[in-house]
Amino acid sequence: MNKESSYDTWFRLDNSGKIFPEVSNHRETNVFRVAVTLTEKVDKDLLQLALDAILSRYPMFKVKLKKGMFWSYFDYNSRPFVVEELKHYVCGEINPRKNNGYLFRVMYRNTDVIIEMFHSLADGAGVIMLLKAIIFEYLVLTGKDIKPDNLVPTKYERPSMEEYEDANSKFYDRKNKKHIPEKRAYRIKGTPLSEDLTGLISGTISTKKMLEIARAKDLTVTEYLTALMMYTIYVTQIQYRGHIKSNQAPVKIFVPVNLRKHFPSNTLRNFSNFVKTNMVMAKDDISFEEIITLVKEQFEKGMTKTELIRKMSENVAFEKNVFLRFTPYFLKKYALKIGYNMLGMKLNTMSLTNIGKIDFPESMQPYIYDVTAGVYSGKFNTLNCSIMSYQDRFKITFTRSIVETKIEREFFRHFTNLGVEVEIESNYVEEY
Amino acid sequence: MMKYCDKCKIKINTNNKYCPLCQQVLEGENTKGLIEKYPEYVSVNRKIYPLTKKVIMFATILSIIILLVINLATLDENPELWSLIPIGSIFYFWIVISFGVLSRENIAFRLVILTFLLIALLILIDELSYVASEVNYLGRWSYDYLMPFLLASCNLAISSIILIKRIDYRDYIIYLLTIVFLSLAPIILVFLDIIVVNWPAMVAFGLAIFILLFIIFFFPKSIKDEIKKRFHA
Repeated sequence: MNKESSYDTWFRLDNSGKIFPEVSNHRETNVFRVAVTLTEKVDKDLLQLALDAILSRYPMFKVKLKKGMFWSYFDYNSRPFVVEELKHYVCGEINPRKNNGYLFRVMYRNTDVIIEMFHSLADGAGVIMLLKAIIFEYLVLTGKDIKPDNLVPTKYERPSMEEYEDANSKFYDRKNKKHIPEKRAYRIKGTPLSEDLTGLISGTISTKKMLEIARAKDLTVTEYLTALMMYTIYVTQIQYRGHIKSNQAPVKIFVPVNLRKHFPSNTLRNFSNFVKTNMVMAKDDISFEEIITLVKEQFEKGMTKTELIRKMSENVAFEKNVFLRFTPYFLKKYALKIGYNMLGMKLNTMSLTNIGKIDFPESMQPYIYDVTAGVYSGKFNTLNCSIMSYQDRFKITFTRSIVETKIEREFFRHFTNLGVEVEIESNYVEEY
Repeated sequence: MMKYCDKCKIKINTNNKYCPLCQQVLEGENTKGLIEKYPEYVSVNRKIYPLTKKVIMFATILSIIILLVINLATLDENPELWSLIPIGSIFYFWIVISFGVLSRENIAFRLVILTFLLIALLILIDELSYVASEVNYLGRWSYDYLMPFLLASCNLAISSIILIKRIDYRDYIIYLLTIVFLSLAPIILVFLDIIVVNWPAMVAFGLAIFILLFIIFFFPKSIKDEIKKRFHA
């Protein structure tokens, strides 16, 4: 069944989306961004026109968050969406009141188009679809002769119900939902930046070189970078300090997994899970090789279908719990908040998101220079990493809520020591 | 021209002086007309309360304290907590200003809350100022007249908003339903003999039933949809 966007449109929040509205604030914003750098300066008015056209194609994003008796929901938003100029905030809080009720932002600066999205609405894969559609429409409006080649959705397609489905609950297995308790993770400490500022440093390397380096160790790129991240954290934060109590907590890297690649679904909403590496590093002589073996093993274990379904079902079971379901929303809010503060956040040292390679049709390629991803960083996860690549530009972006840049430095020096050229971008937050 | 950090061996396209990784001075010349990749930080001005707000706030707190002190000091002569009347009114004033006027909540929601609080405040005033021996009117003006009339006017107000702002009427329907159901309260109080003068309660009830039937007959789908949305579990 197809559905046009109208006043009747409304959506339930998907399983993973339900938690975010309750636990988000100006510090833990749960916002992530995806940006495209074009080869020409962005025209604000055309971008606005492109957005208006695309939003009627994607009713899923033309919504506001409303509270119901038992759950909040997304309701059709009749107010206009306005593109803005990029400010210094990186993944700052999206306040619906200042944003006509919308839960995402589209910004421009010089040659960049940036989307920042509240995680309740969609995950990385969903936003990439939206971004591609906007860029395509924008380039058409600037008079470029381009074709979608089935890689980019256009405004002429009609939305399908499949895009809205909460895929998590479709794969729910009642018999495979065991909850496995976890230990609190090691936290990267540092001097907090003032005024909820977020520092951003990205490094671009050659995709080809990156693949070569990972292949040489017989690893995927994500595995290699996760192992390198653990090693960097170990070298800069823990080595020779293992006797300190807080350093004995396991270092856990949270790596989101796009479940669309493992299970058949075309949803635009949240459909991702994670694998997690877990290693107590309070020793003086851990080698990179040792970490690689462990990461590889833990990735393999975490990526099996049964394990992915277990993690999915664990969350869905929580939502299906009869007591929780019929608790009025204003009480449930607190239950979710307390639960998340006790468990959710503190189980990860940092998150490392690999959004992956982004493809544009050949006719569009001359107009696109590169892409950047970014996630918020908060009080507990003081440093996060996100990766995205386009053609030969493989971009690793660190976002941090602390002043120190030691981990970024050592991480990129690892590549320069291997003889790989690294190009850095920074928002120079430390200058203020 | 890209700048270069000799220590980190990285390239960077910026007019800033230092390497973001190691804070060393970068090698290379500034590029003329370069637009930095990320905008410069502009400090958010901390919201400073305007002086008027400070003065009113100060006067409010001071008067509340003075009222309470006088009331408690004279409790022997007059054993009533009369100070709750002005204090309640002061609080109501603040709620009207901050929630009723300045907030950006849904207007119908604001009306419902303000009406509800006003009724509560007036009942409080009525209770505190009630003198049993006075004439032969046994009822309470707050229950008899104010509650039904306030509910009826709130009903009318939200209905008119819906009639005027046709586009977004779905946003208001749930509040209209709430106040319609609240309007049934006076009729219950009539049966409990708390309300002595019946006709205002009857008027409020009649109006509520009229509006309810009107929505049910002319907007049946909106009502169904709204209830489905708000009550999905």
